[in-house]
Amino acid sequence: MNRLFVVRCPDLLVEDEDGDALRSFVKVVEAVEAYCPWVTTVRPGVCSLPARGPARYFGGEDVLGQLLIEATSDITTVEVGVADGLFAALLAARTGGVVVPPSGTPQFLAPFPVDVLGHVELAELLNRLGIRTVGNFAALPESHVLGRFGADGIACHMVATGRSGELRELRQPTASLRIDHQRNSKGRHPGGPTPVEPEFWGGVSDTDARAVRSLATVQTLIGPDGVVMARLQGGRGPAQRARFVTWNAKEGDADSGLGAPWPGQIPPPAPAVVHPAPLPADLIDSGGAPLSVTGRGLLTAIPHRLSVEKSPWSEVTAWAGPWPSDERWWSRSRRRSARMQAVTSADTHLLLVEQGRWWVEATYG
Amino acid sequence: MFVESARPSVPKGTSRERDREALALLAERTRPVAASQTRLLPVLAPLAGLFPDGGLRRGSTIVVSGATPGGSAGDGAVSLTLSLLAATSTAGSWGAVVGLPGLGAMAAQDLGVELARLAVVPQPGVAWAEVTAALIDGLDAVVLCPPFAPRPTMARRLVARVRERRSVLIVVPGRAGWPEHPDVHLRVSDMRWDGIGSGEGYLCRRRVTVTATGRRSAVRSRHHHLWLPSATGEVTEAHDGSVVGLTVGAAVTRLARRP
Repeated sequence: MNRLFVVRCPDLLVEDEDGDALRSFVKVVEAVEAYCPWVTTVRPGVCSLPARGPARYFGGEDVLGQLLIEATSDITTVEVGVADGLFAALLAARTGGVVVPPSGTPQFLAPFPVDVLGHVELAELLNRLGIRTVGNFAALPESHVLGRFGADGIACHMVATGRSGELRELRQPTASLRIDHQRNSKGRHPGGPTPVEPEFWGGVSDTDARAVRSLATVQTLIGPDGVVMARLQGGRGPAQRARFVTWNAKEGDADSGLGAPWPGQIPPPAPAVVHPAPLPADLIDSGGAPLSVTGRGLLTAIPHRLSVEKSPWSEVTAWAGPWPSDERWWSRSRRRSARMQAVTSADTHLLLVEQGRWWVEATYG
Repeated sequence: MFVESARPSVPKGTSRERDREALALLAERTRPVAASQTRLLPVLAPLAGLFPDGGLRRGSTIVVSGATPGGSAGDGAVSLTLSLLAATSTAGSWGAVVGLPGLGAMAAQDLGVELARLAVVPQPGVAWAEVTAALIDGLDAVVLCPPFAPRPTMARRLVARVRERRSVLIVVPGRAGWPEHPDVHLRVSDMRWDGIGSGEGYLCRRRVTVTATGRRSAVRSRHHHLWLPSATGEVTEAHDGSVVGLTVGAAVTRLARRP
């Protein structure tokens, strides 16, 4: 769960007709952005920024909190809170600027009444059952919560126990869209040609807006890190060639080394299943002896049978390689390994051998 | 005027129930008459023959199963599923993949998927059905690899949601299985890799047979031979000896239906 600063402007929470509140809030966001470029608008009058990096740079979380309050003091009064997860940070800001210690979120939330979770029906029901504080609610076993209170209950329970930081109603994606749009239309590029509308946050098509709402809902169900997007990058193995970034996290597009040559790269086609962690495997010859690769990059015997994660043996019908790869040979973290493609009667795998042990890195799914 | 004309068919009940029914009827009647393009999500040309309409019909559920009966990582189902998403994502639709922790992003892109419009929920956990339902609400194509065996009621509810929201659900049952009959069932079989031998060459392309069966207009089963992936990582038709035929079961059904 991300550690977040929340900047809340109590006077700007409600949008007025002539848009003064919105414009003032845009100024606040810009003032906050001077300290960290990754400011996210949560809803009108509330924005958040990641705590870890900026706090370290400016000398501590309380110092940065003070700086943020000073920077925005001539625009409006703000409350700043910091905690693990958006929900707790928001509550910390609302209760007058508390710094909740790392992983102290459940203890911080425990004394609050269950009503703070924002679900009226759930709160009523819990109150009737005699469960009046978030701490009491967190103490219930998860399976009971799921059985009795459904998906909303689970989402609240995950927040109460500190396993998730988000609830469905916390973010208003449409408000963020509007605020970002206001900022873009203000002309941050004076004199130049009209800025190209950003594909996603600027010119918002109906399809995109619907997708944004859905994905935001999913984030509230299973946490913001649960929804990811794939980005490609350069690398030798299939696992290094893609990374998954949290959806909606503001992060620069780094096409690092995508077009660069990577000697030792496995030729296309790319495997459709890349295991998040390589699966341990055993490769034996017809005599049942385990295979290995010599220092010159040759197999010690002809592969006969393969077993992945101790599953039943399947016969190797064809194979290619091994292709040795000597990574970071200049440093101490030097890795000598070799990759091999193996077709078995069941699956087709990309194998990796390192220090005599075999792994299934990817599967041609 | 719609309410007036709707009145005769409104069933009797409490006033609120009646209002709701009337509203539903109204919504149905005022829905814009969809052109054939908006009823269908496009698929790549080599895959069009698998579907009776030549594309993914909105509101339908598709099951993709691989060559290994119990499902395994390398049974071809993932590649076929990703290739189904390709044309819709380049046409501007959003897609999502739920419950596949090892999605090969490189392969997805090579098959034609626009990664900027593909959301991945690798580990939905116990809330997988809720997650899928939320995605169905807002995305055009949702791929579900159920982490646990779905209960029939749960599956039926998701199928109903897909029909109501006019999106497309592609289920890769794997080991968990899928208790509902899909509109179209795609099966991968006869996989054969080219270019690899006993310690020589490398994996170049894979020839697969895809069999499509289904209900209603899709009862005619179709066999298609594809390179999945081809030497460049795309999906292309494998021309030699491509057969479009009838399986015995479907043929019998057709004969029986003949007046």
